Amino acid sequence: MFIDRSMTRDVVTVSPDDEIDTAQTLMARYRIRHLPVIVENGLLVGIVTDRDIRSAMPSKVLSENEREDQHRRLAAMKVKDIMTRDPVTVSPAQTLQDAILMMQKVKVGAFPVVDNEGRLKGMISIRDLMRAFVNVLGLEEPGALLGIVVENKVGQMKHIVDAITEQGVSIGSILVARTWEEGKRAVFPYLLTSNISRVRNRLRELGFTLIDPMEWSLDQLPKK
Amino acid sequence: MRKTGLLYDERFLLHKTGPGHPEAPERLIVIHRALEEAGLLSKLIPIPATPAKLKWIEKVHAPRYIYRFEEACLLDLGEFDNPDNQISPQSYDTAVLAVGGILNAVDMLMQRKIDNAFCAVRPPGHHAEENRALGFCFFNNVAIAARYLQIQWKVGRIGIIDFDVHHGNGTQRVFDQDPHVFYYSIHEHPSFAYPGTGREFERGSGPGEGTTLHSTVLPGQGDDEYKRRIVHDLVPAFEEFMPDVILVSAGFDGHAEDDMSGIQLSTEIFSWMMKIILRLADQYCEGRLVSVLEGGYSLGVLPELIGNHVRLLLDLR
Repeated sequence: MFIDRSMTRDVVTVSPDDEIDTAQTLMARYRIRHLPVIVENGLLVGIVTDRDIRSAMPSKVLSENEREDQHRRLAAMKVKDIMTRDPVTVSPAQTLQDAILMMQKVKVGAFPVVDNEGRLKGMISIRDLMRAFVNVLGLEEPGALLGIVVENKVGQMKHIVDAITEQGVSIGSILVARTWEEGKRAVFPYLLTSNISRVRNRLRELGFTLIDPMEWSLDQLPKK
Repeated sequence: MRKTGLLYDERFLLHKTGPGHPEAPERLIVIHRALEEAGLLSKLIPIPATPAKLKWIEKVHAPRYIYRFEEACLLDLGEFDNPDNQISPQSYDTAVLAVGGILNAVDMLMQRKIDNAFCAVRPPGHHAEENRALGFCFFNNVAIAARYLQIQWKVGRIGIIDFDVHHGNGTQRVFDQDPHVFYYSIHEHPSFAYPGTGREFERGSGPGEGTTLHSTVLPGQGDDEYKRRIVHDLVPAFEEFMPDVILVSAGFDGHAEDDMSGIQLSTEIFSWMMKIILRLADQYCEGRLVSVLEGGYSLGVLPELIGNHVRLLLDLR
């Protein structure tokens, strides 16, 4: 799960001396919110976001004259005047997990991906990560989800997988939710079958507790 | 009383799915017996089952897929595309026969020999896609019938109502971009139930944008939510679309006694839904409606549910 396998390679970029209007037009045309700013050899020098542009725009509370005055000044401004210099970047050899955790930490929606020399190789955005996780979760394969409570000890998963396999059912993905209950885990196998009641009954026979679907929660991690 | 056709043929039992499989021949046996014992059989007009011409099946499925399915049965491979889809040597012929019978029902309907029809067929169809068998389904019976209505009978607007507890992914896909076929499905929410498709934000695409509608119901819910969604979603959508013919994917697996889902429907709600559907058919289609069996696996409740269903089609008081 390396970033260079999931990133967008065909990146729309601007240069520091482009006008802000150019950046705004590009964002609208390609429906993107982040534009990496590069110079010769693809060297990354900054990033400009739709928010940077919006904050540079004249405020609506200003008078007509003041607004016109600001618009004139804005027209003279370049991307380099509003871009974020030294943005947080990732390397192609980092992983999707790195990117997700960093996004959570620095509260940014996309990172430029640069090589060791600082040259732009691509962008990795929330959108790219979502695509990867749709795949990981098996969301595009027909199947059904089960929820099972297990003791937090080694070997539980084996019993579950064995019981599923015994029924001749393939597994699309398995999620495990932490801090469900003290000493317990919640396991969510996504099964590529419509015949789920058979598996459910078998797991009950083996002594597992199935979770009431309406009680499911995958968001019980400690808040950061 | 209406002239209601019944499609049933003992050869539908020849598609064998092996021990313990929910989509078993016994489903049709109990249905047929129930209709007989309730004295309904004599009131129904028999619809003959004859093999469908391949050209109609090919309106929905790729020739290569049809061939693969036939081969898998001839070679007695036991399953097709997924272990869910158990097959026997005669499964292919059975599936072709089911489609052919439904097309006969459509002919009789359009020739006014019958007012409406119930097709007690196996295998079911609404999960089957152009190139893939899924969830016990091989040929998409209802989708093929809709294409047949369009091409053979030049019907302009077809409304499909799918109340099987699972989403009819196959049917949705076929008509996703077709503005002349409205696909409405009410089913258990895809995050909890097979096949994990049929989200509410999917409304069709391209020229077909707006002629797909999904009502998703959370596990544990039942009659009240179904009533609310049928009244708020289905009825206004069909009042606007005004179909010329209605096809029903009639699945009875949302019943509380059926363990294929977390939805808990009563016996009565199925009749309530069918009354609404028949009213829509009367309003816009001169009553023309063909109901095709999809799921429903509880041998205990199927007889009563189908008995009620057929009684409503016949308009028996």
